[in-house]
Order: sequence, then C-alpha cells, then structure tokens
Amino acid sequence: MTAIAAPARSPAGWSVVAGRELRDLWAGGRALTLSTVYSLFLSIVVYLLASSTNLNFLEQRESVTLTAQLAIAVGALLAMILAADAISGERERSTLEATLLSPVSRRALVLGKLVAAFSIWVAAWVIVIPYIWFLGRGVDIVWEAIACTFVVGTLLAAGLMAFAMLVSIAVDSNRASLSVSLLVLLALLAPTQLPSSAQSGWAGESLYRLNPVTAGEHYVGKLLTNGHDWTQDLDWLVSPAIAAVALLVLTAVMASSLTLTGWRER
Amino acid sequence: MGTGTVTPGVVPAVQVEAVGKSFDRAPVLEDVSFDVQAGQVLGILGPNGAGKTTLIRILTTMYRPSSGHFAVAGVDGKRPREIRRFIGVLPESAGYPRIQTGGEYLTYHARLFGLSREQAKDAARKTLEIVHLGDRAGSLIATYSRGMLQRLGIARVLISEPRVVFLDEPTLGLDPAGRRHVLDTIRRISAEDGRTILLSTHVLADAEEICSRILVLNRGRVAAQGTVAEVSRRFGADRHASLSLPPEQAEAGTALLVSLTGVKRVSAAADEPGALTVVFDGQTDPDRAIRLVVGSLLDAGIAVRSFELDRARLSDAFLAITQDDAR
Repeated sequence: MTAIAAPARSPAGWSVVAGRELRDLWAGGRALTLSTVYSLFLSIVVYLLASSTNLNFLEQRESVTLTAQLAIAVGALLAMILAADAISGERERSTLEATLLSPVSRRALVLGKLVAAFSIWVAAWVIVIPYIWFLGRGVDIVWEAIACTFVVGTLLAAGLMAFAMLVSIAVDSNRASLSVSLLVLLALLAPTQLPSSAQSGWAGESLYRLNPVTAGEHYVGKLLTNGHDWTQDLDWLVSPAIAAVALLVLTAVMASSLTLTGWRER
Repeated sequence: MGTGTVTPGVVPAVQVEAVGKSFDRAPVLEDVSFDVQAGQVLGILGPNGAGKTTLIRILTTMYRPSSGHFAVAGVDGKRPREIRRFIGVLPESAGYPRIQTGGEYLTYHARLFGLSREQAKDAARKTLEIVHLGDRAGSLIATYSRGMLQRLGIARVLISEPRVVFLDEPTLGLDPAGRRHVLDTIRRISAEDGRTILLSTHVLADAEEICSRILVLNRGRVAAQGTVAEVSRRFGADRHASLSLPPEQAEAGTALLVSLTGVKRVSAAADEPGALTVVFDGQTDPDRAIRLVVGSLLDAGIAVRSFELDRARLSDAFLAITQDDAR
C-alpha cells in the first residue's frame, strides 16, 4: 500500500458531514417522503380553506395566516424529527462509532447534521409558497406572507432542531430522543388551543410571549391578519430569537462532549 | 511504562500504564499495563466481560480512562483528536449505512480524514482493491454479505493509512473462507506495511496464527502477556510427546522415563507395542524435553524409533488462566 498524499486544501469537516447527510436524507428518500406527506397535508388544508362551506367564512387574510402558521409548525416539526434522529439514530444503527473515530471535531459533526436537518425546513418553506400565492391572490400580502413565514419558521426550526439535537446527543435511545422532542413541541403548541381569555392579562400574555412557538405564531397573525407593519410587533420575535440563539450555542457547547453512549458511558 | 519487550531508543506504538475504567463505580478494567512495539501484532484475549472492548475503546479515545495513562502512536491519551489521525479502528458489531455504496462509504470516510474529493475517490478505489471488493464498489452496502461487510470495515480502517490498527473481533460470525480472507489481509497489512495491530478475539486459533504477542485479560486485569509460546508454556497444561521404542525395550524405557525430572507420567498404547505417550509438566522447555527424553534413552542403550513433541496449546493455557482466576 502506498501512503496517501496530504491534500493541498482539506475540506471543512462540517461540510463533508453535511454533504453526506444531505445525500442520505434526500437521495435515500426519507426527506422526500416527509416532504410529500407535508405537501399532501397542506393541499388538504388549503383545499378546505378555499372550498369548505364550514371554513370559508374565514377572510382571505386569515386563510393565508393559518396556512403560514401551519407551514411553520409542521416544517419546524419535520426539522426537529430529523435532528432528534441524527445522533441517537446512528447510535442505534451502530454507525456512530466509525464517524466518531475520525479526526473531525464533534462540533463539526453536529453542525453538519444540523445543516442537513435544516434543509427540510427550507424545502417546507419552498413548498408552501404556491399555496400562499394561491390563497393570497388579490389581498396583496403574498410576498409579506412568504417572507415572514421564512423568518419566523427559520427561528423556530433552528431552536427546535437545536433542542432535539441536544436530546439526541444526550440519550442513547432513538425512541426516547423522538418522544422527548415531540412532547416538548406539543407542550409549546398547547397554548395555541387555549381560549383567547387564557391569553389575556399580564400572566397570560407573558406566558404567550415567553413561549417561542406561540410568540412566533402570534407575530405572523399580527402581520398578516391585522396588517401590522413589520416592525410594529417585533418584540414578539424576541423569545423565538433568544431561544434559537441560546439553544444553538448550547448545542455547540454540548457537542464537544458527544460520546458513543450518550450522557453516561455504559 | 508497561511491561512488554522494549527496544532501546524506540517509542512503543502503544503504551499503557495502570489504566483503569469503572462504569457506575463498578470496575471493568483495573491496573492494565503493557506496551506494543511498532510492527507487532498484539492479540487481546479474554472471556466475555473480561474488558477487551472497553480497553480498545479507551485506546481509540471512545472512552476516557478512570485512571492511568496511555499513548498511541506517540501521542498522549489526553489529545484524543490527534490520536484519531493515526489510528484505524474496526469496532465490534460495526454498523454500515445500507443506502450507500461501498465506494461512497469509503470516499466519505477518506474525506473525514481531510482528503479532497478526487483523492478520496482514488483512495477508496485502491483500498477496495486491497480487500478484494473492487468489483463491488458501486453496489449498495445492503447487498453485501457478512464477510464482505467485514472486509469493507477493514478497508475503512486502512483508508487513512493508520499507524496503529485496532480490530475488535474481526472474524466474528464469518465462515471459514471469510475468516481466512480477513486473516490474510491482517497478515498482509502487518507484514507488508509494518503497521502495529491490536486484535481482540475469542478465536484462539486466530491469535496463534497471526499474533506476535498476546495479552490475556480476565475480570478486567492482565492475567498473562508474552508471545504465544511463552504464555502457552508458562500457563499451559501438560505437554505430550509420542514416542516409539522397540517393543522388547519398552518396559525398561518406561521405567527410565518416569524417573526423569519434568516427566509426570508415561503410558503405553495397548494396541501398538512399543508406543509410549510421555506427559511433561507445562513448564518444560521443548528443547530440554527432547534432550531429556531422547538423550537419556540413547545413553541407556535404548533405541528411539520416533519422537514427536506436541505443540504447547494456547487453549489449555487460556483455560488455565481464566479458570484459575475464576476460582
């Protein structure tokens, strides 16, 4: 065997990992399947919004808002599912050790996997664009809706993905990782189902603002349904932004302690 | 550091000093020390739960030791990322991404070691040829047999041109042809490339065949180490020699042999007059056994028609070591 010559310029570890993960996700069919299910879901919702006699009492603006909010919630959920599987899934499939044995830093490995998981949110956003265009024709909020869906969705997807990655780093069971991540997402979404009276008052509004999911969805509603200016309700984006940044930083810190067996060695 | 044979002025490829590891306060490894010189093949043997995989995971930076120090390829154990540049590891029960081809899998791992895309593809192609998988480079891993997966794993180990190679149960579950193929590959990468190899195995015949030294672990401790012959002799059960004398001299020969130091007993074969079996204790050196038996008989005027000394058996030594400790 002959020694391999050192490359003139080494590729960044995270980009190598991200490239491989993206190919496995999309060419392997997993992300395509999830995206197809998401598209079907959006199609049914938009069809009902546009045609159902029970739902078409909604104003056109409200239909666009509801579609954007659903796209954000489901798109972030998909990114979260992929992130939750990223490390613990590899542990279960016994493929993690070979990767950990390479000189690529743990942080680069996690970053590469986050980039790949984030791709499904980008796909979800691209997929919702024609639906928003279809529902928003004539009320002049199409571009506003597309842009705010991207901004709010990106913040929430980043935060939820980072949280799911933290769980995935910590536990050695894929089922546990997915369960914990979904439970937390459901808990964050639960307040959106509460009556509006529960959201009023100092305590109610504070909880609504502190919860990044409800705060983000609220911002979308104010912007699209009420026709507020971009900057008018920016304070509602503080919680999603802080959550995204804090969780990403925490993930970067915890990534360096990524081990073969999770939070405790066995 | 360690207790292996040390060549003056040469830094051992692997140095382990008083390494210990506990999980939930239960000790799994205790006070493990040894050295491996560059180019040696060290067999790590031991019963289930002896700590073989834990030891390999410590040396390959997957686990941190609870105590002690180690260095691999001259790099201190406290610099795990640097160590990973110089090692290749085939873990026990390694998983493979079934949706990738063998070529894609190796290219990816070569790129993780810093090779450009073209260099990685070239290295993957060459390495697959070495393990005789060149014609399956474009096949999905899902279509590989167990033996092919193991060879693919060895190819991944070699893709980074490691100085030290760790193989954890590389022949586990393979058919005889697959096992032969893997052993030949290991022998080749040791002999031709001069790589240091640490091989954990349950198959004692594999260790006897390719290891220059062995380390026997039992209950997390080093129970024995040395060459196969040394360990077999030191811990081995009795050694046997088959001897043929003229039938009329068999009785006198038997009486002489039982009086010799190191001979435990002599028995005659019922169906073959003059055929004797001599049992030595495990400590007897083979050269001394030959001189002792043949020389004494010839000196006494007894003709020796044939003499054959059994090889010391590692399996006997292994059982003696592990059963003694278990008692």
